[in-house]
Amino acid sequence: MNRRELLKNTAILGGASVLSTSLFSILQSCQSEPRLGWTPTFLSPEHALLVSALVDTLLPKTNTPGGLDMKVDLFMDAVFSKLYDDKAQEAVVVEMDAFNQQCRSKYGKPFYELDATQKGAFLKEAEANSPKFNRGVWGTAVGEQKPVGFYRSMKSLAVWAYCTSQEVGSEILAYDPVPGDYLGCVPLSEVGTVWSL
Amino acid sequence: MANFNIDAKKDMTYDAIVIGSGMSGGWAAKELCEGGLKTLVLERGRLVEHIKDYTTMNNESWDLELRGAIGPDDKKKHYKAIRTGFIGENNKHFYANDEENPYTEVKPFLWVRAHQMGGRSLLWGKQTYRWSQLDFEANAKDGHGVDWPIRYQDLEPWYTYVEKYVGISGEALGLPQLPDSHFLPPMELNCVEKEIKQRLEKEFQGRHLIIGRVAHLTVPHNGRGKCQFRNRCDRGCPFGAYFSSNSVTLPAANVTGNLTIRPFSIAHSIIYDETLGKATGVKIIDSETGEMMEYHAKIIFCNASTLSTTQILMNSTSTRFPNGLGNDSGELGHNLMDHTYRVGALGTFEGLEDRYYKGRRPNGIYIPRYWNIDDNSKSDKFVRGFGFQGGAYRPGWGGAANMEGFGEEFKDSLLKNPGPWEFFITGFAECLPYHDNKVTLDKNSLDKWGQATLAIDCEWKANELALNQQIQEDAVEMLEKCGLSNIEGFDQKHEPGFGIHEMGTARMGRDPKTSVLNATNQVHACQNVFVTDGACMTSNSCVNPSLTYMALTARACNHAISELKKQNL
Repeated sequence: MNRRELLKNTAILGGASVLSTSLFSILQSCQSEPRLGWTPTFLSPEHALLVSALVDTLLPKTNTPGGLDMKVDLFMDAVFSKLYDDKAQEAVVVEMDAFNQQCRSKYGKPFYELDATQKGAFLKEAEANSPKFNRGVWGTAVGEQKPVGFYRSMKSLAVWAYCTSQEVGSEILAYDPVPGDYLGCVPLSEVGTVWSL
Repeated sequence: MANFNIDAKKDMTYDAIVIGSGMSGGWAAKELCEGGLKTLVLERGRLVEHIKDYTTMNNESWDLELRGAIGPDDKKKHYKAIRTGFIGENNKHFYANDEENPYTEVKPFLWVRAHQMGGRSLLWGKQTYRWSQLDFEANAKDGHGVDWPIRYQDLEPWYTYVEKYVGISGEALGLPQLPDSHFLPPMELNCVEKEIKQRLEKEFQGRHLIIGRVAHLTVPHNGRGKCQFRNRCDRGCPFGAYFSSNSVTLPAANVTGNLTIRPFSIAHSIIYDETLGKATGVKIIDSETGEMMEYHAKIIFCNASTLSTTQILMNSTSTRFPNGLGNDSGELGHNLMDHTYRVGALGTFEGLEDRYYKGRRPNGIYIPRYWNIDDNSKSDKFVRGFGFQGGAYRPGWGGAANMEGFGEEFKDSLLKNPGPWEFFITGFAECLPYHDNKVTLDKNSLDKWGQATLAIDCEWKANELALNQQIQEDAVEMLEKCGLSNIEGFDQKHEPGFGIHEMGTARMGRDPKTSVLNATNQVHACQNVFVTDGACMTSNSCVNPSLTYMALTARACNHAISELKKQNL
C-alpha cells in the first residue's frame, strides 16, 4: 500500500493525529521495501528512489535523526522543481540517468536496490572522482570552479537541507538566534557542536 | 514612532526638497528639518518604516519553503544585482527590480540599486572610515582629476558631528592615513585574528591589522539598542543597532514636525527658472499612476545616489543649461569611479582547533593602506593605494560538502567538527577619476515611465590593474609570512560597480570650468541646488565612502540654512 494513500485514508477516517497500532505497523512495514513513500513534484519515481537512497546513505539515522527523517529527499525534489531553471533541471535528469546507468553496468541494478556494502563502495568511488567546491569570499567561490559533478552537488544539497531543517537546526546543532554578544575565543567543547546559524 | 506624514497633496510648496532618502538623503532630511525648514523628501520607492516593515527579520531557514534561496523568477527580476551573490528570500524586497529599471552596460558595470525609503542604507556594509588629508590632496599632488576644493580640516568637525550621532565602533590607532573617529568600544577579534595580527605586525613594519570600524552600536546609543550579533542586518535591524536612514535620520527628521515624505515619486528633473536664475522645484512622476507633477522649494538637495542624481541633472535641461543642470564644464556624467573588489588571498590557519567563537559578528578585520603614504612607501608601479578587509572563521556545516566520506561517521563529523580555521583578506583599491569613464542618457532606451535610461561606459585602467596585482602579491606574501597553509591568491576580475561604491559624475572642484559643484556642494551656476551623495566626489580614496557622504551632507545643510537666513539663495 502506498504510504501517502494510507495517510490519506487515515485522515478520512478522522484519525490522522492518533494512528492506531495496527495502522502504524503497516506504515513501518511499507518502509522496508525500496518503494517510494512520497509523491515527487519534479522527480520521476525512479529518480526519487535514487535521491531517497542517496540521502539515506549519506546521512543515515543513528542516535541523531537521519536525512530521511528530516525529509531531505522531499526538500531536494522541491529544490529541483522550484530553484533549478530549465537548463539545470534538464542537466540533473541526465546526471541521474547516468548515475543509475553506471550502477547498472557495475552491479546489474539501480543504486536504490544495492545492499549497504555495494552502496558504500559505489559512493566511495564517486567521492574519489568528484572535484571539491572552491573556498569562497563573501558568498562567492574564488578561483576557477570546476564542475563538482552529480555526487558532490547532491551531497551539498543534502547537507544544506539536513542542517537547515527545524529539528537539526534548532535542537541538534548549537542554536542561538539572538547571541547578544560576540566572544571571539571560546572552547569548542563549550559550544559542543557546530553552530546552526 | 510617530507615523510619517505622506500627505504631499496638501502642500505643493516647501522650504526644501530632498530627492532620495538613503544614506545622504536621510541626513539632509534630518539637518534641514532640525534647522526649521519645511522639507519634502521624494522617495521613488515605497515606505519602509523601522521595524514595522522588516518583514523577514526573524525568519529561520525552516520557516521558508525553500530555506531562503530564490528561484528563476526572482533571479530574473534581479538579473543585475544577483551578480553580487547577496540576494536571497530574506532581503530581495530591498533590491530594486532590474527588469523595470534597465541600464546599458557599454562595458560591464554592476549597478546595484535599492528603490525604497532608506535606499541602500538598509543594505550597506557598515564599514565606516574617515578619509585622510592624503585623500583630499591626492589629485592635486599626482595630477589626476581636479583638486578637491576642500581639505581634511574642512570636514573634520563634520566627521565628529555625524560620528557622535551615528555611533561608530572601533579602535583608535593614530594613523595619519586613516584618522580615528569618535569610537564606541570595538568589536572583538577572534583568537585566530589576534594571532595573525601579532605575526603580521611583527613581520611587516607599518602594517596593522585591526577590527573593522563599523556603524554598529556596541553599547546603547541615542536611544538605540546595541548589536545582538545575529548578523541579519540586510533584513532590517529590529534593535536599530546599525545606522540606516530608516532607524536613525528619518525618524529624527520626523519628530520635528517639518518632514513630509512622498513615496512612489520618481524625480524626473529639477525645474530651472531662467528669469530668477535658480531652481524652483522638482518635476516628479508618480510611479504608480504615471502622473507628472511639480513640487516647489527654495533649495533642493539631490541625493538620489551617484548615478541617479546625475541622471536627474542630465534630464534637467533648459535654455540656460541645454546639456543638463550645472553642466557648463561638460564634466557631468564623467569621472565615474568605484573600488576594485575581491582580489586577495585566503589560507588555512593550523592550530587552535579546540577554539571557536560565539555570536555572528557583522564585521571583520581591516588592514589600513600602507603604500604611497610617505616617502618610504612610494611605489614605482602605481599611484594611490588600497586597504584590506577580511577575517578568520570556521566553515561549520557549510564546508561539509567538501569533507571526505558519507554515512554515520560523516554525519557525526558534520555536526561536531566546525572544520579548519580559514582566513582571507580582500583588497579595495582606489580608482582614479578618468574623463572617459562616464554615463550618458540613452534616449533610445526608455524605462516603463518613458524616461531615458543610463548607458554606463566604465573600465579599470592601468593604475587600477597595477594596484590589483600588488594587492594579490601582498596578500599572498602576508599570509605566507603569517604561517598560513593552503594559500591561494585570487582575482575575480570583477568589473567596476561590484564595490557598490560608485562615485563621481558631478564632481566638486575649485573651477566651474572643470567641475559641477563648489566647495559646499552647490551647483556652481545654480547655487540653490546641492548634491551631497556619491556623485559629488572628486576622487575616491580606498576607504569606504558613506561616512564622508554623511559629513559632506551635514556640512552642506549647515551652509544652506545659513545662506537661506541671509537670503542669499
